Amino acid sequence: MTIVTRLGMGALALTFATAALPAWAQTKIEFFFPVPVEGKLAREMTRLVKLYNESQKEVEVTAVYTGGYDDTKLKAQAAAKAGKPPSVVLMSANFNVDLKLSGDIISLEPMLKADETTRDDYLKDFWPALHANAMVDGELYGVPFHNSTPLLYYNVEHFKEVGLDPAKPPRTWAELVDAAKKLTKGDRYGFLMPAGYDYLGWLMEALSMSNGGRYFNEEYGGEVYYDQPSMLGAARFVEDLIFKHKVMPQGVTEAGGVSTSFFAGKASMVLLSTGSLSFIRENMKQPYDVAFVPMNVRNAVPIGGASLVMFAGQSEESKKAGWKFIKWLTTPETLGGWSRFTGYFAPRKSSYDKPEMKDFIAKNPDAKVALDQLPYAKPWFATYQTVAVRKALEDEIQAMMNGKKKADQAVKDAQKKADELMRPYVEQTSLKLP
Amino acid sequence: MSVAGATGIFDSVQRSSAMAASARRRRMRLLPYVLLAPSLLFLGLFTYLPVARVVVESLYDKPHGTGAATSFVGLGNYARVLTDPAFHQAALNNLIYAVGVLVPTLVLALAFALAVQRSTRLSAVLRTVFFFPSLVPLVAAASLFFFIFLPGVGLLDYYLARLGLRGPNWLGDSDVALWSIIGLTVWKNAGYYMLFYIAGLQNVPRDTVEAAMIDGANSWQRLRFVILPALAPTTAFVTVIALIQLLTSVDHVIVLTRGGPSNATNLLLYYIFQSAHENFEYGKAAAATLISVAILLAISFGSLRIMERGARGNG
Repeated sequence: MTIVTRLGMGALALTFATAALPAWAQTKIEFFFPVPVEGKLAREMTRLVKLYNESQKEVEVTAVYTGGYDDTKLKAQAAAKAGKPPSVVLMSANFNVDLKLSGDIISLEPMLKADETTRDDYLKDFWPALHANAMVDGELYGVPFHNSTPLLYYNVEHFKEVGLDPAKPPRTWAELVDAAKKLTKGDRYGFLMPAGYDYLGWLMEALSMSNGGRYFNEEYGGEVYYDQPSMLGAARFVEDLIFKHKVMPQGVTEAGGVSTSFFAGKASMVLLSTGSLSFIRENMKQPYDVAFVPMNVRNAVPIGGASLVMFAGQSEESKKAGWKFIKWLTTPETLGGWSRFTGYFAPRKSSYDKPEMKDFIAKNPDAKVALDQLPYAKPWFATYQTVAVRKALEDEIQAMMNGKKKADQAVKDAQKKADELMRPYVEQTSLKLP
Repeated sequence: MSVAGATGIFDSVQRSSAMAASARRRRMRLLPYVLLAPSLLFLGLFTYLPVARVVVESLYDKPHGTGAATSFVGLGNYARVLTDPAFHQAALNNLIYAVGVLVPTLVLALAFALAVQRSTRLSAVLRTVFFFPSLVPLVAAASLFFFIFLPGVGLLDYYLARLGLRGPNWLGDSDVALWSIIGLTVWKNAGYYMLFYIAGLQNVPRDTVEAAMIDGANSWQRLRFVILPALAPTTAFVTVIALIQLLTSVDHVIVLTRGGPSNATNLLLYYIFQSAHENFEYGKAAAATLISVAILLAISFGSLRIMERGARGNG
């Protein structure tokens, strides 16, 4: 036997030994995560998972980057259908109702019981607005991970130029219209909001909530309030901004178009997510500031964002390992670090008691405004057939924004379509009588 | 050793060689199937099995979230698809899209081919320039056009503003959005189909063209009465390929509009995607898939028939 083969055999044996050693003790699980904004977040998430794997020996997590929110849902469901469900998935928080109804995700109540804690105790540290989206039918299904609310961003230069005080941004719809009229000049619009699918539904929820409404029944997945005064008022308001006050362009502008217009100085005030804070901070050349979403009846905004869910069909060990990983990912420190990195807000209140977070807020007053708006936050709409029911409203509002329909007709048609979509569920639940 | 023993050995050798020959023949007969087996296996696994599953799935329905079990509904899913206004709109959009793309694409492809058919150095450069858009993946092209179509600040509006014009909201106006998507697709495809026309032009008989010239036909007449008829098989072929492509790719719709605004750019394939993955209606999605496949098959067979007739007519 030559020295080379002997060395080779030795190396081989060593490989087997090291490979075999942790294998009996370690549970391997998969974690699917989307990155809605940019690639740099994917690297940060990979770094976190590596940190976790090195910090302990029982669980080895493989992080799988799965594209946007929709793709992540799709890929997780496809993997589950193929008999290889991911253990933990970072899922858009308003998919939870549908995923529970389709039997894709599991209740986290047994894990709470194993940890000898109660749901109330567990959720106590999370902002109250997040509780509704974490639960389905009274049970815990998701652990909030990163969240956002809509926010008004405005160009300070433009405010000064037309004699508005940048320290006093519009607080009400009346003030918004007023300011927007002054700011609209030539090819510059005073106000702009994203109206593509997904974003539009969220912002219409913000406007109807600011108008005293609820958008949907947060306790029951079979009801939405599209043809109610709160939504009708919000729809008429958007219609007026375009056709009466002429401070917003006709038609639909996607989120990318809105931020580009804001950067280019072609839109003075825009509604965008707090999740865009870092993006705007890095790309906006002119001075800007942020403010609460203006209100008509009360201050209220919906939350958005994602929570960690566990998929059905995994083994008991895998479930235990997944839950362990979730607990590590949602410590106040990890959530705080992720929040500073992304611009989303941290779902745990205690994250904001940490010194690093206090420093960060002191240095970034715009993040402070987002935080101050949180006490007014409300749940994100999630119903039976969430996407289709949301689209029912969006299609009609888009038609209205294109001048094809009046607001009154639009909300009526949206309600009719939404009711049709939810009928199978309603008939099996609240209309199923003894 | 006895003689008998020797003949016995001889017999058995002969017999065994005969057996070996027949075994070889059998092997030879099996050989093609053995060689085909890997491809057949994969074709079966990845093409026909999924097709069969879609057929089966289209006959069953499991109402989402109602706790009801999967049940056999026969043609129920097909009826639901065919009476769904969103399907009608997607089908109509797809028809407008197909015709709207096909006609300008064919005209441009032919014009490009005529312009660059002679091989000079300039035409080699032009060929590359015309062909370039087909090298760009559709997703990348769509991301590029996102910036071109940006309302107010995009490249298109920037140059229109220099001319003192104001463009519409290219992707956000429900009357314009589909045409913007059509424009992008024409830009993307014309160069590709130019290749087919360049090849087709090589086969136009020179002597017929020359005969027409001698008869005093001007260049338009030569194109109209000599070249175009000779190119008919190419046109038919390109039409089929293009139509299939127009029904089976929606990458740009996903990137740019996701079917909006108000479903104005929703195409059949995206409708199927939405049914399956947004609305949890797998049965309906399967039925819509088969309906689209039926349309594709009808187009293909129809065009192939026409093509054959055309080829015979020419011969």
